[in-house]
Amino acid sequence: MVTEFETKLLGFMMMIIMLGMGASLTWRDFLIALRKPKGVIVGLVCQYGLMPLLGFALAMGLGFTPALAVGLILMACMPGGTTSNIFSYFSKAVLALSIMMTSISTLVALVMVPTLLEFYSSAAGIGGDFMIPATNVAQILLVLLVPTLIGMVLRKVSPNVGATLELLGGLMGIVVILFLIVTWVPRNHALLADTPVAVYAAAIGLGLIGMALGYGLARLLRQDANRSRTIALETGIQNGPLAILIVTLSITGPMQQDVLLIPVLYSLFIVVSSSFVTVFFRRMSERDALVRDQRKAGVLAPR
Amino acid sequence: MDSTSSAQERWLAAYRDAGVDPSLPEAGYRSLPELVHASCGRFAALDPRAKAYTCVVANGMNGSLGFAEVDALSDAFAAYLRGVLGLQAGERVAVQLPNSLSYPVVAFGVLKAGCVLVNTNPLYTTSEMVHQFRDAGVSALVMIDMFADKLPEVLGQTGIRHVVLAGVPEFFPAVPRTVIRGVQRFWNRVLPPVTVPHVRLQSALAQGRQALAGTPARSYWEALRSEDLAVLQYTGGTTGVSKGAMLTHGNLLVNVQQMLAMGATHMAPGKECVLTALPLYHIFAFTVNLLGFLSLGARNILIPNPRPVQNLQRAVENYPLTWITGVNTLFNALLNEEWFLAYPPRRLKASIAGGAALHSAVAQRWREVTSTPIAEGYGLTEAAPVVSFNPLQGTPPLGSIGIPVPGTDVRLVDGSGAEVADGEPGEILVRGPQVMQGYWNNPAETALALQDGWLSTGDVAVMSPNGFLRIVDRKKDLILVSGFNVYPNEVEDAIAELDAVLEVAVVGVPDNSSGEAVRAYVVANPEYPGELTHDMVLSHCRSRLAAYKVPRTVLVRTELPKTPVGKVLRKDLKAEVKREFSGD
Repeated sequence: MVTEFETKLLGFMMMIIMLGMGASLTWRDFLIALRKPKGVIVGLVCQYGLMPLLGFALAMGLGFTPALAVGLILMACMPGGTTSNIFSYFSKAVLALSIMMTSISTLVALVMVPTLLEFYSSAAGIGGDFMIPATNVAQILLVLLVPTLIGMVLRKVSPNVGATLELLGGLMGIVVILFLIVTWVPRNHALLADTPVAVYAAAIGLGLIGMALGYGLARLLRQDANRSRTIALETGIQNGPLAILIVTLSITGPMQQDVLLIPVLYSLFIVVSSSFVTVFFRRMSERDALVRDQRKAGVLAPR
Repeated sequence: MDSTSSAQERWLAAYRDAGVDPSLPEAGYRSLPELVHASCGRFAALDPRAKAYTCVVANGMNGSLGFAEVDALSDAFAAYLRGVLGLQAGERVAVQLPNSLSYPVVAFGVLKAGCVLVNTNPLYTTSEMVHQFRDAGVSALVMIDMFADKLPEVLGQTGIRHVVLAGVPEFFPAVPRTVIRGVQRFWNRVLPPVTVPHVRLQSALAQGRQALAGTPARSYWEALRSEDLAVLQYTGGTTGVSKGAMLTHGNLLVNVQQMLAMGATHMAPGKECVLTALPLYHIFAFTVNLLGFLSLGARNILIPNPRPVQNLQRAVENYPLTWITGVNTLFNALLNEEWFLAYPPRRLKASIAGGAALHSAVAQRWREVTSTPIAEGYGLTEAAPVVSFNPLQGTPPLGSIGIPVPGTDVRLVDGSGAEVADGEPGEILVRGPQVMQGYWNNPAETALALQDGWLSTGDVAVMSPNGFLRIVDRKKDLILVSGFNVYPNEVEDAIAELDAVLEVAVVGVPDNSSGEAVRAYVVANPEYPGELTHDMVLSHCRSRLAAYKVPRTVLVRTELPKTPVGKVLRKDLKAEVKREFSGD
């Protein structure tokens, strides 16, 4: 269970995260991205095409109960998380593309998340109490657009405030995870011990398989290796805190705990898996750069 | 004298056509401190909230100093040097700072103290630092804290008695300052522990302010005259050991006026905002941006680290730039940024390029993209630095580096020192009030460079009948192919026209049949969809150049060696060639 105070605190932290995301971009960035929209479109296909399908497939394949299934599907339908920008930075990926994908996927989330959630939930045969009402999700996302817009305005008014908020928003993504570790984990250690391995596998697999598929699809759609790595991180890293907030605001009573399980586990483990993937990607980036150098020097060697 | 006066008249008509006042402008001040104090006072009175310097880092965080603040803070620093440290007038103070708000405070403080400013590149190695500090006899050093780990080694070998350390976000508001320092310390880990005795800039300024109570800063600079030494500007890095060009207050004051005279048609006092991405420790940005635009009451947007050029995005977006000063590589890099092409600065009036040849393809594209003029000039450290500039109005002849700036005399001579015939290439000799006094403690080099008041530049040019100069090349970069002179600039200019090419440098390589052969180093343009090939470069050159000028070999590189201001270092490529051909 999550107390009312914790829900409020989570909501507050989410506001800061969105404020920071808003402060990370300008209208111009949007317009520039729209001039060459291919990368962002490929990213959106991964984000809202691949991931929900993957979540659905995992829930069905592992034979999850409705409570677990809805948590997993919700998690899979989330927009990109702001922490992906930090990981992109560290893995020497294309930071601008990462920021743009996070922002645009968050904006279209208003329509995409309720639609996809309803579609996959009914496809999975989830009904009644476990169904998260689409209007509820849309409302939460709409409310979160307010701090995003405020962030954008603040950035325009004062670049100093904007850049500070951007950093704060990124850090807050980590703070939420720490918050879960110190508050939620100790109270639920019994539950965690009883949780079957399949649930852990799904929570961890959603991120990792998502990254692998995202990379593959991006390559297939003719994005270069570095952009594909960006898209991979962006696809795999979902906005975990947002999913937790939606669950706590939409589902009350004893079943909340079960629905919450996968979003919480996902949020805890994605930090670890992303860190490993980042180290791996960073090496690939460096190796690619080296190969490119050598190939160029070789092709045009003197006659 | 006869030949000079007739040569000078050639470009008088060009001044008139471009609306430039041909008479040598009055400096109006006896010393640089007077220029700083008077300009700051004037523009602070005009608008107390106007900013003189704004420093912008890559994520958009920024700090600013108003005109009155710059004046007061540099007073405090002067008082610290003289009143607290006890330095004497004329002592050398090295300043080793990237573009940041500390730079004007410290540099003006040194000048107001009546001391001599020794501009030093922050990226110097310890041996380069030791050479320069010993040669100049530096007694105090103001350094960026990021490189303080070099101090223990350097201090032991030099006469430096005092060290002041400053940070990049100095004078930023508290929160961004803390964030930037935090990022530098914990994230990028670029703040080494300081193991030598030192004072932080803020504490030096606090001590200086107290000392000011007894002795006003004016007392340190009031007696300075235009012939007093102001700056030791080290140069000659392109040939062996560097030497200190002695620039007086008068040299720099005059050059500021000469530059302003050429730009006057596109400048309004108190209304300009200039992008300063070139380092201020380099003479071009020092004279033009730091001093020239200050005296115009402009706002200088200082960029600590312009590489990658993406770092400029927030500065270009957030400030109403009216002027950009740069080098070919900077303009070229900006023209390859999506964000710049989508939103070139709307208020831009003009840009000027110096430091290295501006490729005509780059200039042409710049005019198309920004719809504003870009003028190429020519100068060298020894001339503080501006010698010639193209007027901003009218269309200069292709490849022109302009007409000599007002009050400057130029002659072109052959190897024997005789003036060349009209339209023939010859080495540029310069005479004018901006020409240095000589090299510091180096009479031998001074005698080579300065003869009867004429400065030998080592650059070969031709002059058009109306006085426009066109650089053919550096005298020593000339390539001799079967007895024909090939000027690398011409070949580079041709190759730079290719969309597939981002950057190019041309040097000579030994060749059994022709003596020397042309070799081109090219960097592929990442935005270009196809691949850059050998044949593409060659066939383009064949269509544009005489056969002997066409490169024998084309090598593709991911980058070219460059100086801190972005000049391509042909000497490094030549050294590479030398190793290649002597090795095996």
